[in-house]
Amino acid sequence: MTESEVAPASSAAGQAPESYESAEHQSAAPPRFDRHAEAILSVTDLKKYFPVKSSGLVRRTIGHVQAVDGVSFEVRKGSALGLVGESGCGKSTTGRLITRLYDPTAGSMMFQGKDLATLSHKAMTPMRKEVQMIFQDPYSSLNPRHTVGTIVGTPLRVHNVVPDKQVLGRVRELLEVVGLNPEHYNRYPNEFSGGQRQRIGIARALALQPKLLVADEPVSALDVSIQAQVVNLLRDVQQEFNIAFLFIAHDLAVVRHFCPEIAVMYLGKIVEIGDRESVYDHAHHPYTQALLSASPDVKQAAIGGRRERIRLEGDVPSPINPPSGCRFRTRCWLAQDICAKQEPPLLQIGKSHKVACHFASELNQTPPRPVTTGLLGVDDQGNHDAGSTPTTLSTNPGYDDEWYDLKSKSFVKA
Amino acid sequence: MALTPLEMAAPDVTQLPDQEKEAEIAGRSPLQIALARLRSDKIAMVCSAIVLIFVLIAIFAPLIAKLFGVEVRAGDPSSDTDIFNFPVIGPPDHGFTWKAPLGLAPNTGDDNLAEWLYGARTSLGIATVSTAVSTLIGITIGLVAGFSRGWLDRVISFIIDTFLALPLLLIALALAPIITLRFADQPTTLKYAQVIALTSVLIFFGWMQLARLIRGEVLSLREREFVQAARVMGVPTRLILFKELLPNMMAPIIVSISLGLPFFVTAEAGFSYLGIGIVGVPSWGQTVNKAVEYFDTYPLYLYAPVVGIFLLVVALNLLGDAIRDAFDPKTRR
Repeated sequence: MTESEVAPASSAAGQAPESYESAEHQSAAPPRFDRHAEAILSVTDLKKYFPVKSSGLVRRTIGHVQAVDGVSFEVRKGSALGLVGESGCGKSTTGRLITRLYDPTAGSMMFQGKDLATLSHKAMTPMRKEVQMIFQDPYSSLNPRHTVGTIVGTPLRVHNVVPDKQVLGRVRELLEVVGLNPEHYNRYPNEFSGGQRQRIGIARALALQPKLLVADEPVSALDVSIQAQVVNLLRDVQQEFNIAFLFIAHDLAVVRHFCPEIAVMYLGKIVEIGDRESVYDHAHHPYTQALLSASPDVKQAAIGGRRERIRLEGDVPSPINPPSGCRFRTRCWLAQDICAKQEPPLLQIGKSHKVACHFASELNQTPPRPVTTGLLGVDDQGNHDAGSTPTTLSTNPGYDDEWYDLKSKSFVKA
Repeated sequence: MALTPLEMAAPDVTQLPDQEKEAEIAGRSPLQIALARLRSDKIAMVCSAIVLIFVLIAIFAPLIAKLFGVEVRAGDPSSDTDIFNFPVIGPPDHGFTWKAPLGLAPNTGDDNLAEWLYGARTSLGIATVSTAVSTLIGITIGLVAGFSRGWLDRVISFIIDTFLALPLLLIALALAPIITLRFADQPTTLKYAQVIALTSVLIFFGWMQLARLIRGEVLSLREREFVQAARVMGVPTRLILFKELLPNMMAPIIVSISLGLPFFVTAEAGFSYLGIGIVGVPSWGQTVNKAVEYFDTYPLYLYAPVVGIFLLVVALNLLGDAIRDAFDPKTRR
């Protein structure tokens, strides 16, 4: 690509008023989390097992990769749920299940009164208008043989949203919305930078005016300076069109900036979910605490103080044969017998805070005894206790008005 | 020796800008863009002119022959050849004559130009039909095999491998006498039967390479995110195959066509040269076959069909190259 061709494109991107600071002023504080807001997507016990086939002529199924193993969460109207976790924990698979790029093994995904998990591919087509996706890699998510106009116009044509003659005008509007020069209609994706390509991908996702956008690591392939622009663009379109986001990422800072609610995944399960303050300031799961300790903190760097880093030992276990009980126990420094014997339930411990750990507590305040024994009907070692009966726990994917208080070890009401 | 201000030409900057900006923004399809790029490629233009000339020759062979006043199979050995069986007019023994611009054939006295013109028709006809049909078969089977993983893919791949293992020359050699025997009593039917048989053999052995290529391309492309994006948008599978995937395979397809056309031209000539192709209809291969033994005394007889094959094959190859470059948005020339 020659310099002259780059110039108009970059100047167009420059017009977009974007840096972290300026956007922070524009949209004031990030949106607050409202646990009573209406849920637009309600996922219950979603599972996806990929079969593992043997090699050879007759390919038998010899096992399953438990990529997603029973996750439940809600995405609220116009809000954003951040899904974080390390590579291979199933967060991208969850996103692909919701857009039905994969067919779920079990579970339900209620969206506007319909269960996306059981819809046939034909019945899914009208729903595709409502649920769209932004992809991770801007270099492979745009067809290199299509012009920008074709790429952004395809969803409009497929769903007959506007008459053929108005597609061009609509595409130009969309390009303007995402801060691109509408005159780039005829260009090919390879003439654009990564950030501009991601804007094209966002314009394509916005074309159908979806209610829910699954953003699968939308900024992780971009430069840090461009990340800020794209995240702020997503914030702007979210507010303008009132779109709910399922924001999949591994960058805790980006998620904190964008999402009022955060879910932490480990090996196919949600280990902690809650509003931003609960998860970031009062993390109760050791894995979340380890993740947070690993993310750099500008304020602390400026003060000069240094947080204690938690170093996790070993690798993530194989999802084909996950550990018994708590899946994190092989790398957890708090693990005891009960962790191998009993799987911790995802327990609501605050107004909008759930955690799945037998020793749920804030960092360095580990309780001497497991907090879940009374609920599960087991003793401290995880063996069944004849004297107590297990309590039936709520399976609500959202938040109940009654939760289990860790200090008093009893259910309290809001 | 310095220039005075008056001697300097006025800078003609004023005319340059603004014109491009004024241009209307309108949707241009990738095909239009590719054609525009092709038009600015000189080699491509020269080659397509050559190919076009050959196509015109093939289509208007009877008219051109009439224009020169020549005919196929008009020779009479007793009146047109001398005692050494060489033609009595034109090369090699006599000068150029408009009666037979490329001379007459030894032994028969047939007109070479007429044979050459009709030979171009046979060559291009068989090559075009074979290429078109085998490309269509190859694309379809490749797309189906690549997109339908599982048992169907394995069955198709096995069939492709089987076909690749069959020897083309041997089957053509075996088929020729069978066809000749079958239609021996019907000379007119035999002519067409031979043409159809040759075309079928070429198609039969021409589609596997492309099918395999396309299957591989689909396998690598189907996991790309833009295909998944199309599925998220609800684009039907048929459109994903033909609108999203196929344009990305234009390069291998055009390369395959551009290599297939000249291959079929040479294959047809080669088979006819070996005597297992066509016999009743004029073709360059047959002329080459007949002319080889006269090369030292009558080289023009051999040069005419060889130059025809050479020019056509080179032009087709270069044109294929240029078209591939024009369709690839990543090449800059």
